[in-house]
Amino acid sequence: MRNLFLFFREHYFYFLFLFLETFSLILLFNYNEFQGSSLYAVSNAVSGSVNSMFNGISEYFSLQKTNRVLIEEMAKLHSRIPEAYYITDVNILEKKDSIVKLEYKYISAKVISNSTNKRNNFLMINKGSLHGVENHMGVIIGNKIVGQVVSVSSHFSWIMSMLNKDSRISGKFKKNNQLVNVEWNGGNYRKGQVKEIPKHVVMVKGDTIITSGNSDIFPEGLMIGTISGFNNPQDENFNYGEILFSTDFNSLGYIEVVVDMMRKEKEDLKASFKPQ
Amino acid sequence: MTSRTVFFNVIRFFFLIFFQVLILNHINLSGYINPYFYIYFILLLPFDTPKWLLLVAAFILGWSIDIFTNSIGLNAAACVLMAFARPFVISAISSGPESLFGETPSLRNQGVKWFLYYSIILILIHHFAFFYLEIFRFSEFLATFVRVMLSSAFTLLLVLISEYLLYPQGK
Repeated sequence: MRNLFLFFREHYFYFLFLFLETFSLILLFNYNEFQGSSLYAVSNAVSGSVNSMFNGISEYFSLQKTNRVLIEEMAKLHSRIPEAYYITDVNILEKKDSIVKLEYKYISAKVISNSTNKRNNFLMINKGSLHGVENHMGVIIGNKIVGQVVSVSSHFSWIMSMLNKDSRISGKFKKNNQLVNVEWNGGNYRKGQVKEIPKHVVMVKGDTIITSGNSDIFPEGLMIGTISGFNNPQDENFNYGEILFSTDFNSLGYIEVVVDMMRKEKEDLKASFKPQ
Repeated sequence: MTSRTVFFNVIRFFFLIFFQVLILNHINLSGYINPYFYIYFILLLPFDTPKWLLLVAAFILGWSIDIFTNSIGLNAAACVLMAFARPFVISAISSGPESLFGETPSLRNQGVKWFLYYSIILILIHHFAFFYLEIFRFSEFLATFVRVMLSSAFTLLLVLISEYLLYPQGK
């Protein structure tokens, strides 16, 4: 027994190293399971407050651009208020509208930290579960995609950017609705990869890729980007393309979180189906 | 270790974390270069730091960076590996006790050659562990290798610049 203790004391450096290294690696590879845990909520709150403090300073440098965007947005909204419409008909019909039901609503939020230079990039926004943000919601800017929510604390949320090895977005060609997948392989943050394009689809540069709406994360028809190059390998079943993202991930200021009001219904439907 | 050394190391710890999180993490050079200058803290720990403290300090350092980059465990693992390697690297490149002159490793005390070997080996260990754990795939082996090399060079450059700025050679 004494020898055992002596052995441990003599080689404690190795054991401590093994312990700390294993501990880190377990945390790293069980990343997804830890996201909902209190550990994450605490670290989110700490990094969130530091990031928003820093953002308060760096915001001043982009005021001009933010102003321009806000003015454009205001003009767009002005054109939508009832006073902007000229009523052509004197017979105004009033009816309860039961045909249209709100499917998506949007929560606007400010980006307080962002990166494009890593292999796996994330954003932090200043809205959290208190404002209705939940995991797996999509995030957009204008009509362009940004990423999806992966972790939420009460005031902040972490967004997995499109620029991440785990991001895989279901898209389609706008011209013929052919489904494809869009990924990012690292390197240049403006360019992504389009995978699984069927052989018979004829591509030209400039073809528009939009979201397919198949994934429950993004509504249909949001801009992903345009085809900027492609190769058609003879010995494979699919073609590959290079896509120029419409979103400039390096200049995200204010973004919107997409809330799918019918998501639960969709998920329940999927869960209720049991193959024979 | 005097209390003065401890004080300076604690200050350096916080300064490097904030420098890394608030400035360096926002640097984007061609999508391949991400300097991880905060490991300068581990390079500069005094020679007589107890070995357990070396590991624990590296772990806390990596963990703090992880909190800000949402990569729990990634920086911590790379830092602990680097701290583990430090005593072996030091004994491998030192010819005798006379080359361990002074309290902390520095360009001035140990000379250019010693310090270059020391920092290049440790920076490479950290960056290799970091980038390959981050991607954890061999399909992008070459692209990751390029990132490791370019980022290590950039980190080394920052280390050398601060060595010359903080500890001038002049007599």
